[in-house]
Amino acid sequence: MEIVTLTITINGQTIKAPFGSTILQAARQAGIDIPTLCNHPALVPVGACRVCLVEVKGQRNLQPACTFPVVDGMEVQTETPALVKARKFVIDMLFSQRNHFCMFCEMSGKCELQDLGYRYGIDHWIYSTYTKRFPVDATSPYFLLDHNRCVLCSRCLRACDELPVNRTLGLGQRGADSMICADGIAPLGSSTCISCGSCVQVCPTGALFEKHSAFMGTDEKMSCTKSICSFCSIGCGMTIVTRGDQVQRIESDWEAPVNGGRLCRKGRFEPLYDGRKRLTTPLVRRNGKLAEADWDEALQIASEHIGRTDAAALGALSSGDATNEALYLFQRLFRRELGAAGAGLLRGGISRLTGMKPGKLSDLENSDLILLIGADPTKDQPVASFLIKRALDKGAKLVIVDDRENSLSPFAWQTVPSGDLDKLLVMAVQASRPVVLHGAEMTADAAKSLMQLGKKAVAIALEPAGNGCAARALGFQNGLPSGTHRLLYILLGEEKDIGENLQQAIAPDAFLIVQASYTSPLAEKAHVLLPSAIWSERDGTLTNTEGRVQRARKAREPLGESRQDWEILALLADRLGRKMGESFDDISAQTVREVQGKEI
Amino acid sequence: MAKIKIATDWLAGCAGCHMSFLDIDERIVQLLDAVEFTSSPVTDLKHPPKEGVDIGILEGAISNTHNVEVAKQMRERARFLIAVGDCATFGGVVAMRNLCGTDAALRRAYLETESVCGGVIPDSQELGKPLEMVTGVDSVVKVDLFIPGCPPRADAFFYALSELLAGRTPVVLPPELFLYD
Repeated sequence: MEIVTLTITINGQTIKAPFGSTILQAARQAGIDIPTLCNHPALVPVGACRVCLVEVKGQRNLQPACTFPVVDGMEVQTETPALVKARKFVIDMLFSQRNHFCMFCEMSGKCELQDLGYRYGIDHWIYSTYTKRFPVDATSPYFLLDHNRCVLCSRCLRACDELPVNRTLGLGQRGADSMICADGIAPLGSSTCISCGSCVQVCPTGALFEKHSAFMGTDEKMSCTKSICSFCSIGCGMTIVTRGDQVQRIESDWEAPVNGGRLCRKGRFEPLYDGRKRLTTPLVRRNGKLAEADWDEALQIASEHIGRTDAAALGALSSGDATNEALYLFQRLFRRELGAAGAGLLRGGISRLTGMKPGKLSDLENSDLILLIGADPTKDQPVASFLIKRALDKGAKLVIVDDRENSLSPFAWQTVPSGDLDKLLVMAVQASRPVVLHGAEMTADAAKSLMQLGKKAVAIALEPAGNGCAARALGFQNGLPSGTHRLLYILLGEEKDIGENLQQAIAPDAFLIVQASYTSPLAEKAHVLLPSAIWSERDGTLTNTEGRVQRARKAREPLGESRQDWEILALLADRLGRKMGESFDDISAQTVREVQGKEI
Repeated sequence: MAKIKIATDWLAGCAGCHMSFLDIDERIVQLLDAVEFTSSPVTDLKHPPKEGVDIGILEGAISNTHNVEVAKQMRERARFLIAVGDCATFGGVVAMRNLCGTDAALRRAYLETESVCGGVIPDSQELGKPLEMVTGVDSVVKVDLFIPGCPPRADAFFYALSELLAGRTPVVLPPELFLYD
C-alpha cells in the first residue's frame, strides 16, 4: 500500500506527515513540542484533558492535537497567546480539584501535571482549592491508588484495557466525584486485577505508584538499565531502575519488540519481593557440613573431582532459565570437552511442529483463528495471554485444546478435549491466517494431527523455561541424561528446586556440585555450592520462544561474592585446562553463532 | 540613595521560608548595602512601619482572622507584596485542614488527642478565630509576586530581591527557581 504524505504547516514551518497521523504525531515527528497530559504514546488517544489544544486555521474552536487528524494544507499554531491562556485555564482547573500539593507526593520531580504547572508558571490558584477527601486504596500488594492525586486522565483504565486487556479498571461516580474503580466497586486487592502494573507505569501523577520504590528518590537519582525479563520464554523488554546497588522497580520497555510495553506480575513485581535467602559465598562440605570457602578452594575441589571422574560417570543438568552464554559454556565444557554423555534440562524445551511455518508473537495480532494447545499462558507466559486477548478484540477466534481447565477458556470460542482435535483442524483449514500456539502439554498424537495443517498455519511454541529455546538449540535434552553418574553438576540458577522425579534420579552417593543463587533443599545436599548472580546482576543474551536473541544487561554488581553463571563456568573450565574464550564478548559472540546457526 | 525598606511576617506557616531566606548566607551583607529590614519575626519591630515599606514579604497561609489582619496591614503598608512558600501561594500543608473541616481539626487537636485529658478548645479574644477554609494569601489581599516552594530556595529569594533592586519586576521566577517542593 502506498503511504500518502501530506504537507501541513505548524507554526509557519512546513512539514510532511503520513496520511492518518494526528497533529500531535506530525508535530512530534518534526520535533515540535506540544504539551500533553492524557495522551500516552502506547495508548489510543481520547482527547480528554484539553492540554494539547492547538489552533487549526478554519476551525471555529481550539482542537486537541492528540486526536485531530492532519489534512493536506492544514495550518496549525501550537503556542499562541490564546492557546497559552486556554492551557493555563485547563491546568488551573486540573489543580483546583483534589490534592496536588507536591511537597509530600512521591511523584514530585517525575509528575507530568507538575511539569505543566512549571511550564505555564502556575504560581497560585485561580480557583479555590480542594475540600473533598478521597479514599486511598492500598489493598494491592504492589502499588497504591491515591484518588486524591488523580486527574481523571483515564490513562490507567485505557492501559488496563489495551495492554493486558484485563479491563479491571473503569470510571465510577460522575463529574468532580468521578473515581477510578476496580470492577465497579472492589478494592484493588480483591478485584480481578492481575497486578501487571501497566496502570502504574502510565499514571502521569502520584495517583498510582509502586510501594517498593515509593519515596526512594526522584528519577535523577535513579539509573535505568534496559534488559530482558527471563521469567518466561516470551522475553519481554524491561528497564531495571536502580539507586546505588538497590533495585527499586522494574518498568516495561515501550520500544521492546516483543511486548511493546507490556509486562506481567512475574516480570514487574515478583522479582522485587523474592524472599528467599541468597547464597553469597562459595560453600564446600567439610566433615559432613557445608562451610564457607573462597572461590579458589571451591573451584579447586570441584575441578579435582570432575577431573578424576570418568566421562561416562559425569552427569550435567542445567536450568533452562540460564543465559545463552551459560548454557553454551555448560554444554561445551561437559559434552564437548569432557565427553559427558549429555547435558540435561531441569524444565525442558518442547518439540517444534515441523512442517509448519515458525511464527512470531506479532503474528497473533492479525490472525483470525488462534489454536491454543497444551499450554496455559495466563499462568506460564502471561504476556502471551495479553497478546491473545488483544487479537480476540480485533476479531480473532480462540479455540483451546486442553484436557484440563484452561484460564483462557472464558474467552474461547470453543474448548475441546485433545481427542476432538480433528474437528478443529477443519476450522483451521478454513481460516485465512491461523496461528497455532503449543505448549509442553501437547501430546505426540496431537502434534502429528496438527502437522497436517502444513504451511497453512504458523506455529509458536510456548517454552516452559525462560531460555528453553536456546537450550534445545544447544542440544540439551529434557531430564537427566541416561547412564549412571558418580558426579552430578547442577546449574540451578534461580530455580526454586528440581522436580521430584529428578530428585529421585540423583544417585545417593554421587558427588554433587550445585551452582545456585538461593538456598534450597537441593543446595543443602551439595558437596560444593557455587553462588551465582541473579537476573539483575547478569550480562548475556537470552533467546525467546520465537528464537529472537536479545541482550540482558546487569543493573548492579552480583551480591556478595556471587558471580555470573558464565564466569563460574569459564573459571571452572580454566581449572580443568580447557580454554573457553578470552572475554565475555568473545564467549558471547561464540554463543550467538552457535544458537542462531541451529535449527530449533 | 535611600535604602529600600523591607518588612516580612509569617501567617499560618512553619517559619521554614524565613529560614530559607536566611540561607542566602553572606549575600545578606551585600543586600544590606541596599536594603533596610524593618519589621520581621526575627527583629524587634513587629508591625511594618506606618510610613510604609517598599517590599512586604509574607509566609504562611490564611488560616484565621489574625492572619487576615496581618496580611491586610502588610498590604496597606507595602508597595510591593510577595507571597513566599507553598502555604502563602497555594495554602500548602495547612490547607490539609480543609479536608476534615475546622471544627473537626480543633476537636482532634485539643480534645481527642491521646495525650489530652479534660482539654478545651482555646477561645480567647486575644486569639484569631480559625476560618472555615485555609487559603493562600491572594484570597484576602492582592499579591504582586508569588514565589512557590516548600520552602522556596534561598536563590529564589535572592533572585527576586536583586531583580526588584535593579528596578525590574519579576512576573514568574525562572524555571530553575520555580519549584513546588
